[in-house]
Amino acid sequence: MNASFLLFALLNTGFIMLISPFFMSLIKKVKAYTQGRKGPSLLQSYFDLRKLMQKEVVYSPNSSGIMRITPYLNLGVLLVATLFVPVVFIPDTPAGIGNIIVFLYLLAIERFFTALCGLDAGSTFGGMGSSRLMSLSAVVEPTMVISFAALAYVLRTVNFHEMFAVTAGSTIPESPTLTLISISLFIIIIVETGRIPVDNPATHLELTMINEAMILEQSGKNLALIELAHAIKQTILMAVLINVLAPWGLATELTFASFMIACLFFLVKASMLAGLIGLFESSIAKMRLFRLPGFYMMAFFFSALTILMEVFA
Amino acid sequence: MISSFLADPTFLEDMVRILFVFVLITAALILSTRNIASLLTVYAVQSLLLVLIASSLYFIEGNRTLLAIAALTLVSKVLLIPIFINIIGEKIKISRDLKFNYLEPTPSLLVSMGLILLAYVFLSGFFNEFILSKLFFMGAVIGLSLTLMGMLVIFSRRKVITKVIGYLTMENGVLLFGIFVADLPFIIEILIVIDLMILVLLTTILAIGLDSTSEEYHQRLQTLKIWSGGEEQ
Repeated sequence: MNASFLLFALLNTGFIMLISPFFMSLIKKVKAYTQGRKGPSLLQSYFDLRKLMQKEVVYSPNSSGIMRITPYLNLGVLLVATLFVPVVFIPDTPAGIGNIIVFLYLLAIERFFTALCGLDAGSTFGGMGSSRLMSLSAVVEPTMVISFAALAYVLRTVNFHEMFAVTAGSTIPESPTLTLISISLFIIIIVETGRIPVDNPATHLELTMINEAMILEQSGKNLALIELAHAIKQTILMAVLINVLAPWGLATELTFASFMIACLFFLVKASMLAGLIGLFESSIAKMRLFRLPGFYMMAFFFSALTILMEVFA
Repeated sequence: MISSFLADPTFLEDMVRILFVFVLITAALILSTRNIASLLTVYAVQSLLLVLIASSLYFIEGNRTLLAIAALTLVSKVLLIPIFINIIGEKIKISRDLKFNYLEPTPSLLVSMGLILLAYVFLSGFFNEFILSKLFFMGAVIGLSLTLMGMLVIFSRRKVITKVIGYLTMENGVLLFGIFVADLPFIIEILIVIDLMILVLLTTILAIGLDSTSEEYHQRLQTLKIWSGGEEQ
């Protein structure tokens, strides 16, 4: 553990934590505009978090310790995951940080505990959400593994920090196949953050909800932590896509100026991506649960194609 | 600025590689899109990608025929044929092809992955003696797999109009293969395009069956006693 890494941990994690709720509201705003509404303020997510933070936590009498530790655990796991994805500068990394496989497992831990806590309160909705999440995860996990494997194969390393050091050095995408991977990564963002066509984050409709069903029993401060963790997960995944496809501005050494530029660039690029996600969500209808594997298959197809093209061509 | 990019062959080769990737994406979309208007748009985009590939190749190689092929493709496949099929589509009032034969989109994407691998293995055995540059070899592989994927579309789609698009995709594959490997004489390219026009025309003449699946079409022909299909009583 060196000083540069410590500084990185503070700046990178702090920056991601600070801006994550902004992108949640931005997507809501874009969706509202496409529907001809004015939409909430861009700071609404921050207001919501503050409001929830001040509220009392209510636990169901049936619930166990899982319900109590999950919000902290999820946020903790995702804060560790932020160390894996540099958005401001690339530090000298201690061993193990930035490894893709560890990153995937961190996301899996978060998913596992969310599903457990959905079951924990003993409500029917929570159980339904957990069962849906787990059955869809069984399909989406191979897709994620193969997408990240393709990324590792193209950039010849399993470490995110090394990957982004490679991509940050070039102005056009390092390899044409990275365009293919980006499509898979985009689909993974949509799936992992529970957006249309997979899940609808705006409703509490029994037929469609997956993510919302599991956090239905959460309240007050715990709900705030879970919402924040969700927003951070979205920002991390967006950062992976941005750093692969458009890494301009990512600093490889830390100076004050380069830090400011990197922050500004990331904010602009991520806002554009958030706008794109909002438009994508507005332009497509929610899919039937049984058609979802076909949607994941698209991501699988493009990733497998990437590996095929890289190996043979 | 632009002319300096156009004179740089490595930049152009990278462009062609990116275009290959997009061609494959359109092929995947043609396999799985259900809405006919979007299907036509995807086909037109695919043809436009071929135009771009042919013109970038002209800047690399300097062969005039490539430019002529690009122009011909632009006029016929990007503009005329999609507009024409669109008019037919409006007349027969079908907007979607929902059902699939034998293979749903998900398995057919898997199968097409296998087809790409097959095309690669087959061609690498075939072109062993020739020394093709990597780019040209990849063009050949993608051309052949596009042809096979078009065949898969004809095989798995039910409505005649989508089958026609499958056939057109196959022809795009042949064109791509021709650009990169065989160096077809230009006259043959023209003949193929004329063939395509006549195919699309014929399908309109057969419009009696265009709004139906092939099986229903067969039945209708039998009811109308136009053709008894060799099952004379």
